[in-house]
Parts: sequence; structure tokens; C-alpha cells
Amino acid sequence: MSSFFGKLKSNTDSKNASTSSPAKNKPDPNAPQPTPLERMLENAGPLRHDGSDKFWGMENFGNTCYCNSILQSLYYSVPFRENIISYPERSTADSIAKAAASAPPRPKYPPKPPQPKPNVALPQSQQKPEDKDSPEYKKKQALLAGPVLNMSYQNATAYDMPESLYSAVKDIFEAVVTNQSRRGIVSPSKLVEVLRRDNEMFRGQLHQDAHEFFNLLLNTLLDSIDDSEKKRIAAHIEAEKANGEKNEYEVLSHAGQENTTVSFPSLLPAAPPQPTKWLRDMFEGTLTSETRCLTCENVSQRDEPFLDLSVDLEQHTSVTSCLRRFSEEEMLCERNKFHCDNCGGLQEAEKRMKIKRLPKVLTLHLKRFKYTEDFGRLQKLFHKVVYPYHLRLFNTTDEAEDPDRLYELYAVVVHIGGGPFHGHYVAVIKTQDRGWLLFDDEMVEPVDRSYVKNFFGDKPGLATAYVLFYQETTIEAIRAEQKREGQKRRASESAPGETTKAEESAELHQVRSVSPPLSPVENGEVKNLDEALTSPVLTNGHIDPPRSPVVEPPSAAPLMGTPVNKKEKSRIEKEQKAAAKVAEKAAKKEKEREEKEKRAQLHDRLAEAARQNAEQMKWAMEESKKSAKDEADRRKEDGVRITFGDDTTLPSGGSTPAKDNIFRRSKSLKFGSLGKKDKKPVEPDMGTLVVPEPVSTSTSAIDDTQENGKEVIKEKEKKNRFSLRKKSFGLLHS
Amino acid sequence: MFAIPPPPRYPTANGMPPTPLETSNQLSHPEGPEYSFQSGEGIYVLRDDIQLATPPPHPSETPIVNPNPLATSTNPPTSGVKLSVLTLNPRQVRSQLYKTNTATSNLLRWRTLGRQETMKSKDPRDAKDIKEIEKDAALSSDASSDKSAPYGSDASTKSSNAPAFGEGNVALTPTISRDALKRRKPKNNMVKSNSSFVSRVIPHDHLTKRLAERDPGGTFAFVNINRAFQWLDMSSSVKAEPLTKILFTKAHMLCHDVNQMTKDEAHIDVVMGSSASDIIWYEPISQKYARINKNGVINSTPVSKIKWIPGSESLFLAAHHDGSLVVYDKEKEDAPFVPEDVIDEAISIEDDPDSTLNITKSVNSSNQKANPVACWKLSSQPINDFAFSPNNRHLAVVAEDGYLRVIDYLKETLTDVFSSYYGGFTCVCWSPDGKYILTGGQDDLVSIWSLADRQIVARCPGHDSWVTAVAFDPWRCDEKTYRFGSVGDDCKLLLWDFNVGMLHRPKGALARARGSVSGQSMSLARHRTESASVNRIRSDSNRSQGMQDQDEEEAVFINHPVEPRARTAQLPPVMVKTLDPHPLCGLVFEQDCIITSCQDGHLRTWDRPARDGASANHVDVSAK
Repeated sequence: MSSFFGKLKSNTDSKNASTSSPAKNKPDPNAPQPTPLERMLENAGPLRHDGSDKFWGMENFGNTCYCNSILQSLYYSVPFRENIISYPERSTADSIAKAAASAPPRPKYPPKPPQPKPNVALPQSQQKPEDKDSPEYKKKQALLAGPVLNMSYQNATAYDMPESLYSAVKDIFEAVVTNQSRRGIVSPSKLVEVLRRDNEMFRGQLHQDAHEFFNLLLNTLLDSIDDSEKKRIAAHIEAEKANGEKNEYEVLSHAGQENTTVSFPSLLPAAPPQPTKWLRDMFEGTLTSETRCLTCENVSQRDEPFLDLSVDLEQHTSVTSCLRRFSEEEMLCERNKFHCDNCGGLQEAEKRMKIKRLPKVLTLHLKRFKYTEDFGRLQKLFHKVVYPYHLRLFNTTDEAEDPDRLYELYAVVVHIGGGPFHGHYVAVIKTQDRGWLLFDDEMVEPVDRSYVKNFFGDKPGLATAYVLFYQETTIEAIRAEQKREGQKRRASESAPGETTKAEESAELHQVRSVSPPLSPVENGEVKNLDEALTSPVLTNGHIDPPRSPVVEPPSAAPLMGTPVNKKEKSRIEKEQKAAAKVAEKAAKKEKEREEKEKRAQLHDRLAEAARQNAEQMKWAMEESKKSAKDEADRRKEDGVRITFGDDTTLPSGGSTPAKDNIFRRSKSLKFGSLGKKDKKPVEPDMGTLVVPEPVSTSTSAIDDTQENGKEVIKEKEKKNRFSLRKKSFGLLHS
Repeated sequence: MFAIPPPPRYPTANGMPPTPLETSNQLSHPEGPEYSFQSGEGIYVLRDDIQLATPPPHPSETPIVNPNPLATSTNPPTSGVKLSVLTLNPRQVRSQLYKTNTATSNLLRWRTLGRQETMKSKDPRDAKDIKEIEKDAALSSDASSDKSAPYGSDASTKSSNAPAFGEGNVALTPTISRDALKRRKPKNNMVKSNSSFVSRVIPHDHLTKRLAERDPGGTFAFVNINRAFQWLDMSSSVKAEPLTKILFTKAHMLCHDVNQMTKDEAHIDVVMGSSASDIIWYEPISQKYARINKNGVINSTPVSKIKWIPGSESLFLAAHHDGSLVVYDKEKEDAPFVPEDVIDEAISIEDDPDSTLNITKSVNSSNQKANPVACWKLSSQPINDFAFSPNNRHLAVVAEDGYLRVIDYLKETLTDVFSSYYGGFTCVCWSPDGKYILTGGQDDLVSIWSLADRQIVARCPGHDSWVTAVAFDPWRCDEKTYRFGSVGDDCKLLLWDFNVGMLHRPKGALARARGSVSGQSMSLARHRTESASVNRIRSDSNRSQGMQDQDEEEAVFINHPVEPRARTAQLPPVMVKTLDPHPLCGLVFEQDCIITSCQDGHLRTWDRPARDGASANHVDVSAK
């Protein structure tokens, strides 16, 4: 206990912590009761270095909860956090401290701007200030308890990047991860400042749309990484030209050094060589729209990338059904006729959209704000829409890879309030091994698993799920988790009052970090593999000089491969040791162990048989597919190959603006109406994805009703280019 | 083009729904096209709609002023209106409805007549009778070109000899040694009770008169809504007036069941499980009750499902939210429960709790002085539903963790664990012949599983939200085609006709059928090996080597992987209809009607199509 608070004390940022912690060391009757979060973190064991056991609130600067809830959701996506921290490279603790020192002093609490939350359904304003259960009180206490990380500084120069949302997010994540306290409050003033500086629509104190912020954030991050990578490559080429080939080795070894001198052990190889690839791989999927002309029966396909899916809601449905409806067939007729290249001219057509490539993180935006004609404005829909803890997609194309991919819900951004222009956002997030937590600005509280089900829309209080984050997982990972849950429960049952032991927590973490879907190590490996595959394409890509391809990031991959493997090996060894210990304890008789082994062998054999079976089946299916498909399919495959090529050239986009790059993939498929679209004068490829956006409103649901989708302000296009809404697609063909 | 959304739900006074007032049930007879639905056999028409009155909160409960929607305190669970129906004296079965020569209908008729008292009847002749009927069933189903279940018939023949639960335990048997005619009633009078658990009991003014004058073939229904529990006479002209209405103080009854074995004109055994973990044994005719698991002394978590063990007068099974199944005896007193360490090492794989049936107290335990009789821990998450197989041997259990577990409850062993496509399972039931298990879940699917083949048969998409109840319509099942229905959170009733021979199999499945040698052996091994383990004595140290191998193999095969979508057959519904503006939560098929219930308290009775054309239509349906 004392060491825990000692850590708190050592925190430089916090004036409050040092004053409050001695009081807590003694059993002072006046001392505040430990919060649920504090109780959860008692005996939490040694601090981890990957940031997975940090539970920080975020200060609200007056209606910035949209930003807090999204950032918190993203922080607990392990690959996102790991990658943000390690790209372009991990900052040293010194560098962070130096930057932090330059931060302007934080105005003493409480001259915090008043939090204008008009019409929020939250009761706090009506409750007496003494009510210790009110969120308002808890938030105040959390701010008092600290530590407060005042993120008013920026460390962008250290990353060799311009000050941007990327650097601001990275600053925050790094500061939290390196901080010695498990809980505290981040005051993301710089991020909000940058956001408001760069984006007109987020200026002012008004309530904003969390989904719009999410979309803007991801797009900005992609742009930032692209820009930065271009700069690095350019710089590198120059350096290379100057120094000749001899230098090549030095550059590489230097990179290796950086890797070893990072301030905290990394689970990932630093600086993944495909910078934006990780972000794209995580959030980006591909939609295929199949349009069948009713006149000539010609089917045209077009692929479009998406970062999230916006689904229309209906009363008493599930997310599954909403997604199904998203892919339902749609008639293109009357004003929405389809321009068929085959017959030429506008024709009636049937169109449906399916998912061709599944993203690792599936972000679902529930369109709760809908423009209604009778009211002439946006209305919040309080439909009951249920969402399961796990999800698979029904609306995949036949050729989709891994169409049965299993997702687990890991974060829910909840909107509380009666309308789109006011209210409050909070996030309910599943953390790596601490179960579900409620993140309400400054306040962080552990909640029961069933708490997640409170936001279907059928409960009083106007709180409804608005953005759902599903991440890729496997059935094995779920089983392992359920097993741990059961063990935890059993442990707490057998020894009530005794909380999880330190070693246990560490052990749990280890187990978790090698579980298939989330394991950063494995991710890293996969990445390396990808690079190995695609790097030849890269050489054909933008970097023309023959020697360059060897130099840049791709070549760094194999170098980093070995340490990763070593690390992994040692971890596996450790695990095996631990497992052996457990087994020793458990196995009371020699015979029992033998039995177990036999069983395992049998299991292996069967698994092998099953695998072979599966392979054979796969082979058979592929064969049958091959024979069935015609020339067009082969062409399509070519197209896909081309897209990968494009993908790899993205970072080195050269003179082409990054925005165009994003759509290179969809462009590369030469199908259907695309050719025509490409000829359009006004950035046609972007236009096709753009959602008409009213200038002044903060929500995008209006697009459903806007008829002239093509006359859109370019700036707006940029913002929403990735967010796909079904209805808007019909307009594109008019 | 624009569907006008329903008027938005503006915050009421304090963001709270208005407090309901104490009212009485309302009976209405709405008519119109939206109150009927058509299936192959004809048109089902709404007979009537009882709106059950939602009771206001108990006065002792402080009204919640302006609740924080983010309040992290866990609320006790509540459930929609669940139905338990009971017919004291079933009418003679009409042969138009039953297809006389089909196996299932034989079985069915026999069962509905309530003569199955395997446990009581030690008379060998009677037992043989049962056996023969079931054998008939097996034979004719064999003849019906049902090649998919070669072992199924075998199993069902054998299982007709299924011993009663706990029969082998001497400590359990002597309890039934009293006058069979006079059933024992619970101790406490409910009307005069001053228990703080029961708030108020309102018997009907003319209860005895109504009971005396009613049609003995009529149906009783027991329903729960909020903190009220009602006893309705569905055949009465004043059916909206409950025979008895019980208001509990705080606890909500989440589930209930009627003992079909002990019922008669003077005695009905009802058990209910509450959100406060207490279980009530209630005898409505004498208005007596007893409280079991009082204040959660045995298990302190809410009861999500409760059912009498088939063939038992006094034992019932309750599923608790902590993932355990507990067998209670209505006659026994509670005692603080200390788990007895009798984990069956042969079958449990230590490292894998999913394939473990953790027996914390066995039915064979010699300590049977007090409740619980047996206790099995299955999951770390709530069990949502379970169902006994018609042959009284297997138990299908579904839980929030997304597993369907099949348990041989007589032997207390887990035989199969199936995974949902995704999300938790919500409901389960058996086909009348015990060959198939139906589940509904949070993946919006109804799934059909074959017991004999130990694998999924088909997934049935069609619901737009989570499925809340599934049930077979035994009056429309024959040896080839099964009719079942499902209701869901999407307010819809779906009817399905399932014929295993007619299933549309995807391309991938063919590839597997062609499969390699290893594939063949796999599928063979996956078949239920009933015979080998029938006589196995638990924790027998002298077990032969061969027997051990058998066990190991079984243990390995317990966990079944999720079948990919591309390889699983799909079945479309034959009828889809939105029956109610509120999510549906209960579905019961009766001989002359279908009864549905919704979360808001609407109890709707749907008349079956007129009988004239029924059988002709039925043939059409099955021939399709």
C-alpha cells in the first residue's frame, strides 16, 4: 500500500497527490473512502510497461467529452496504443520529461471552465453537492486526488513531425504509459487546441458528434503518418545520395540502437516499416458494391474502403440485423438510376453492398440522429437496438477472406441526452484483464459485465450506445478469458476479502499478451511477413533509385525479427516454466500426468486430422471455385494484386496528395461505372464516397435526405470520405 | 421513401417513465388483419389479448428520483412475462390432429395423457408398454429414410429404461413412503403470511366456486409480471380475472414451473425462482407455500430457470446466475451449502472448465438430509435456460457464455459442448422425439443440433433481434417434418418447418461429405457411444484400460468447434409476423391455440386454423 502511494508521491506533475496521499496512509476517519477504482487496483502488483494497466480519466474542458470518450476507447485497443507509441519511434523518458517541463503551469483547480451541459439527463446538477454518489462529486474528487497530467505541451519535434492531432495523441499516450501511477487524470488541452485550430467545426464550446470526431481523428492520423513518412523517405534518400552506399549499414545499425535504448521495454518492434499500414489494417475494410443492371443483367462491382460503418436503426432490432439490412438489395430506379456502361445510359438496377475485406477493428456507428421531415430537424432515435458481446458478419462476399471472423465488443461510446446538439458522452471499455470500466471524463469506475447491456435504448435515462468498437478475436481467446473469469471468481469465493495477488495479475497479463488476436508480438510478426511479401512491390513503387529499397524500413524488419523472436522465446520459456509449476502442483499422481499426456497426444492427433480434413476441404472448395469462375474472376484477382501494390506505395506517395492515395485502391479496380466516375472533373473518386454534409450541423445523418450529393464543399468531403452510409450511395448514381 | 420514425421518446417528468398505477388485467378482442397470420395450414386468428397489470413498486421502496443512467450499482435482474401452462384433465386427443400412424404422435399422445410415471411404476408390464411405444417410434423413424441418425434410434430404445434421477442413492429413496393419494402440502399459509417476502395475496372472491364450475379440461396459466405472480384460468369467460394474484415485496419471479406428475383437482405443485435467489414452492389450491434457499443460504444468485425433474414428485432443478445448476427437494429443509469435493476426474479435463461438469455435490452423495440434493457448476456466467430431453436422460443447458451443454444428468456427466455462432444462448428446447435440440441466441439465429450426430444440423436466420423463446409444435410434427416456432426481441413470431432430408446444404458441406478417410473416421468417432459407457461406475478405480480410452476419447470430443457459415445448412422460416408492439418473451403451443407473451404484459391467444381443412393442408406442408 505504502509503495503504491509512494509512487503517487513521486509523480512530479501532481501537487494534489502528495498532499492527499499521506492522509490516506493512516486510518483517518475523515479520509475519503477508497473509490471502486482504488479498491480494484489494490495489490495490483508491479507496474506494467505497456500501458495496459493504466486507468486514467480525462478532463473535460466544457463539452469535450466526445473527444475523451473516443480517445479512451482507442487507448484500450492494444494494437492501436502500441503502434501510436512506437511510431515513428518511442520517445525516451527524458524526452517526455523535457517536453513536459516546458508545459505552461496548470491553472490551479478549480478555475476550470464551468461545464455547460444544458439539458443533460445527468442528475448531478440537481443533487446536493454532498451526495457522494453523484458523478459530479466523484469527478471532483478524482481531480483532487490526481495525479493530473497537464498535456498542454507538445513533443512533436522529437518525433520530427509537425504539431498535429497525431503528435497530440502520441504525447498523451506516452505520458500515460510512462507515468508511474495507475490512475490519474489527463488534461488534454493541447489536443483540443490543435483540434480546434485545424477544424473549424470543432471550434467553440458546443457539443460535438463523437463519431464525427472519430472519423476525423483517424483520417488525420493517416494523413500525418503519410506526410511524416514521405518526409523521412525524402530525407533518407537525400542522406543516401550524399553518403553513398557505405552509409547504409550505419543507418540500419543506428535504427537498431534506437530500438534498444527506448525507455521502456517494448512488445513491438519499434517503427513498423509500413507506417500507415498498421492503422489501415486495423480499421480499414473493403466494401464491394455489386450492381446488377436490370436491362442487360450485367453485374458490375466496385470496391471501396471504409473506416467505420454507419448503420440505420429500426425499432427492436439487433446490430446483426442492422448490418444485414445494410447489405440488403436496393433498387436503383427513378431518380436514382444507374449508369450502365454495358448498355450505356441510365438503367434500373439492383445494388447490394457486401464486405469483402474485414477490418481488425470494426467500428459501428449507430445512426441515432436522424433528420425527420415532420420536425424539420435532427431527432435522436431511442430505438431499442441490442448488441451482443461477440459478433460475426453475415454480409461478407463469397471470396472474403475469413468470412467467419469473430469479433468481440471492447468499447461502447454512449450518448446521454435527448438530442444531437447537447448531452454527454461516456465510454464503457473492456480492458485487457480488468474487465469492463466506465470512463466518464475524469471519473473511472469498474463496472459489471452486464452493465454494457444498459445502453440498448430501452432503459430510462436517455443513455444509448452510439459507437460500438468490435475487435478481432478468436474462440480460443474467449475461452481463455472465460476460464480466467471462472478462476477469479472461484478464488474470490474460496477466500473472500482477499483480492487478486500481485503475481497472479502479472501472470494473467503474460497469458494475455500471447493470446492470438491481441498479441503485439504476433502482430509484429505478421507485419514482418506482410512486408516480406510486399517489399518487392515497394521497389517497383515510388522509390525509383535501384539501391533505395534495401535501405528503408522494409529491410529493417528482418533485423528486428530476431530480437522479437528471442523475446518471444524467453516468454514462451517463462510460460512453460509457470505451466510446469502449476502442473506439478496439480498433478498429484504420476499416473494422472501420464493420462493427461496421452489425452493431449490424442487431442493433437485429432486436431491434426481435423486440420488435414479442413485443408482438403479448402482445397476442394478452391478447386470447385476455380472451375466455376470465369475470365472475369481472374481479372478481378489481378485487380486485387494491383491494389496491394498500390497499398505499399502509399507511404512514398511522392507528389500525389495523400488524399488521393487513399483511394488508389478503389480506383485500381477497373469495373463497371468506375471508369466513368474517374472522368468526372471534381475529384471523382472522392466524390463517390462523399457524404453530403450540411455545413453548420454537427451530425451527418442529414445526408439521407440531401438530394444533390455531388455539390459538396471539398473540405467537408475530406472529413467524411471514409464513413460509409448506405443511403448516400444511391445518390451517387443519379 | 422515408419511413416516418415513431415519435421520439422525450424525457418524461424526470426522465422516468410514469409510475404505473395498480390496475387489474384487461381483456380485449382486437380484430383486423394485423391480428392474424397465415401459415401453410391456414389462418391463425387472435382469440383474445389479456393485458396483465404491472404492479406499482412496493410502498416500502423509496421511489427513485431521477436515476443516473450511468449508475454503476447492479440492478436485480428482471424478466419478461413467462408462461407455465397446465391442463388438469386433457381432452381426448382428436385423431385429425394427430397423424395416427406416426411414431412421434404416438409418443406424444401418450405423453400428453400424463401417464408417464416411470419412477413410480415399478410394474414391469407398464414399463414394457413404454418401451414398446418408443420402440415403435424408433422403428418407424428408421423406416423414414432418416439416415442421419443411425444411433439415434438405438439410443432412444435404450433410454426408455432410463432410471429415475437419484434412483441409485439409498439416501434419496426412502423419502417417498407415504399415502400416494394424499399429497403433502407446503407448511405456510400464503394469505395469512406475515412474511416480509410476500407483500400481498389476492385470491379471487369466488375462487372455490370458479374452481368447482370450470371445465376440467381447461388450461391454467401461471404468469409473472414485475413483482406480481398470477394464476389464470384460460378457459374461463372471465379469464382476465386471476384466480389468485400474489404480490411480492421486492423480488421478481423470473421463472416458474408446474409439476405435471402430481397435478390433480386438489393439488398443484408450482415452483418459482426469484431475482432474490429465493425459491417458492406454492400450492395454489390450498394457498400454502414454502420458501426454499431462503435468503440465498444455498446459492445467493438469482434463479433464471426452474423446472421439476421429469418423473419426480419432489425434486426440481434450478439454474442460478452464477452458472450453477442446483437440484432441490421441495420437502427438505435448507442447510448452508458446503461443496463436497467429488469432481469426476475421469471426465473433467482439469485445464478446460468448458468441458467440465464441476460436481460440487453429487446426487449420489450420502448426505441427503437437507437441500441441495445435488449441485453442478457449469459456467462462470449466468445459465439462461435448460430443458430435459423427452427420454428423461439428457439435459440441454444454454448460458450467457455462448455454450450449449448436453448433460447426461442421470450419470452427472457432460457429453457435449457446442458453441454458438456468436454471443450468448438465450433459450433451448428438445424435439418431441428427443432427436434434435433447438437453441435461440444473441446471434439472432435459431440453431438445430442433432443429439445423435453430435453436431449442428442447420442455422435458421430470420429474426431481426435476439431470439427469446423456441418451442416445437408437437401437434404439427410428424416423423419427417418438424414444426417449431420462435419469438424474439424483434416482436416477431416465426414458424419453421424442418425436414432433415429437405435441408438445403451448402456447397461446402458436400465437400465434407465426400471427405477423406480421416474425415470418415472422425465423423464415426463423433457418434454417440452410448453403449460403452452405460454401465460405467463413477470413480471406479478398477476400470479397465479400454474403458479409460473410451473416456478420454469422449472427453476430447466433448468440445465441438464452431462450424463455418459456408458449411452449415440454412433454413428459412415459413411464416414471419410481428405479433406485438413489444418484444416477445414467451411461446407455448397448445392443442387448440398458440399463446404468446410480451415484455409489456400482453398475453395473446391465437386460435389455430379451423380444423376442417387442417389435415389436408398439413399434408401439403409436409410434402413441400
